Amino acid sequence: MSSSLSGASPDYDLAVIGAGPAGQAACLSLNGALRIAVIDEQARPGGQILRQPPRAFSVADWMTGRAYRGLKARLAAFEALSNVDFMGGRSVLGLREAGGAWTLTLSGPSGVEEVSARRVLIAGGCYDLAVPIPGWTLPGVMSAGGTQAFIKSQQLVPGKRLAFAGSHPLQLLVAEQALEAGGEVAVVAFIQPFSTLVWRAITRPWAALTHGAVLLSALGSAWRLFRAGVPLRFGRPALSVEGQGRVSALRLGQTERFECDAAALCFGFMPQADLPRAAGLQVTPARPGGWKTNHDEWMRASRRGAYVAGETTGVKGAEAASAEGALAGLAVALDEGLIDQDEARRRARPWRKAREAAMWFSALLEAVADPGPFSARLPDADTIICRCEDVVLADLQAALARCDEVGSVKLATRCGMGACQGRNCEHSLLSLAGEPHSERSAFTARFPARPVRIGDLAAR
Amino acid sequence: MRKTQGVSRGEPFAFSVDGDAIQAYPGETIAAAMLAAEATGFRRDRSGRARGLFCNMGVCSECLVHVREGDVSRRLRACLVPAEPGMTVETGLGE
Ligand SMILES: Cc1cc2nc3c(=O)[nH]c(=O)nc-3n(C[C@H](O)[C@H](O)[C@H](O)COP(=O)(O)OP(=O)(O)OC[C@H]3O[C@@H](n4cnc5c(N)ncnc54)[C@H](O)[C@@H]3O)c2cc1C
Ligand code: FES
Repeated sequence: MSSSLSGASPDYDLAVIGAGPAGQAACLSLNGALRIAVIDEQARPGGQILRQPPRAFSVADWMTGRAYRGLKARLAAFEALSNVDFMGGRSVLGLREAGGAWTLTLSGPSGVEEVSARRVLIAGGCYDLAVPIPGWTLPGVMSAGGTQAFIKSQQLVPGKRLAFAGSHPLQLLVAEQALEAGGEVAVVAFIQPFSTLVWRAITRPWAALTHGAVLLSALGSAWRLFRAGVPLRFGRPALSVEGQGRVSALRLGQTERFECDAAALCFGFMPQADLPRAAGLQVTPARPGGWKTNHDEWMRASRRGAYVAGETTGVKGAEAASAEGALAGLAVALDEGLIDQDEARRRARPWRKAREAAMWFSALLEAVADPGPFSARLPDADTIICRCEDVVLADLQAALARCDEVGSVKLATRCGMGACQGRNCEHSLLSLAGEPHSERSAFTARFPARPVRIGDLAAR
Repeated sequence: MRKTQGVSRGEPFAFSVDGDAIQAYPGETIAAAMLAAEATGFRRDRSGRARGLFCNMGVCSECLVHVREGDVSRRLRACLVPAEPGMTVETGLGE
């Protein structure tokens, strides 16, 4: 891969960050035009919903559900594109624009490298919202999304007996997948009462109707888990994890305790926003937390030559992510002069429809799953909130009482200064400050967006 | 616990984690091989407590381990980096 010197022409016409449904759809809607680099830190394309097993594995019946059929067909078509260089196993650390070209700094197996392109599409997806509960830093406690990814991709159940807890219905699907893969499920616990989940769903009947299939699949999972003898619990906000050196039980309030050797937490998802924020793109607070990147009707972000698509613009499912990716691809074709306004509009129409339909469902899921700030209750004073720097709740509360600005808490406590760049703790800190969805951020997004050895950066 | 039904993997190999030989299959991440061997601690926090991985998708940095190659040691995310034959991995302290 050649690197760009200033003045030299960029390596690619388009660089796409993220090979999930959104990134794939953008490349597909460009119909073989343009030289495209697609960068992803995963070894293979697919994104979170289709996290592929390693090439060296052969897996019979991988993701055979009907819901995945269209996504798998698009993935196969993407992998066959000859105008795309897929650069897997590489993390984008940052990006900058100068003289009409974007330069991306990547870290990968061969150290740090740069790639330049005239346009960039950020399709980085989303990640699990981290909601601190007592004991959540014990080894064996992980996000439900991460648990699912182990099952889908590495063909591994990350424990023998798993306990699930949180507010998002996705945990029902993951628990069922764990069971099917040969794990035991100790319990699936929701912080909300059953009536709240149902009430929030039926007050949005349109979404419930148009996306009945997805809701039914969650209900179907619940039914099959129940039939398999898995305890289901609702209205259990007092979650905590117990263990010495690693998790040994999930506790629901004072009375119920479920032994397990792994616990999966599921509170919904936040858009990846570190790269857009570091690139100076405009963002808006998202629910339940984090930042979604702003865009126009053609998925153009607030700076020239930058586009966004998929869950980076707000969490709304794989179908909407694909639709936005396709729109972004058409926008690039339009801006490059490959197609005219009429053709762009005509080809965009079905994607806009698909996106609209999917948005209803995301609004429903958002309402059903919203854990509220700190799931409406605070963990113990000595619960770690900032996992990288070991900052506990009591330290943050003391600093918030002293500091006028949330931004100063970082300097006072080191909260948000660690390797995760605040991705885990920023939402918690803003929630503690009573402004979980304020326009003001707690931290400034900094380079590098992913950890890298200083020596490797200096060697550039 | 590796799923075996309907899954075929290549020939297993060994790599080292804190001096112990751990088995991995080609393509497995360091994290997957460690969890299959019930090695759940990936780093230690400031108080010396073991920490596990959290996100399994590259965003949280809780799975940072030291991977030694000759004189150079890099802190890499175990959930992203494939295990390789003869690799030397150390959990433990931060920087
Ligand atoms: C863990 C997890 C599990 C999920 N499971 C389901 C499910 O079962 N069903 C469902 O309907 N939806 C699920 N979702 C939601 C699902 O991710 C989306 O609907 C869909 O995959 C979004 O597509 P996308 O293209 O926007 O992003 P993604 O599919 O997330 O793809 C984004 C890609 O960008 C890459 N990336 C991000 N930042 C960088 C960087 N700095 N450098 C390099 N690469 C980067 C990531 O590695 C990723 O592969 C899940 C989400 C997560 C986070
Ligand atoms: S587990 Fe979060 S970065 Fe690896």
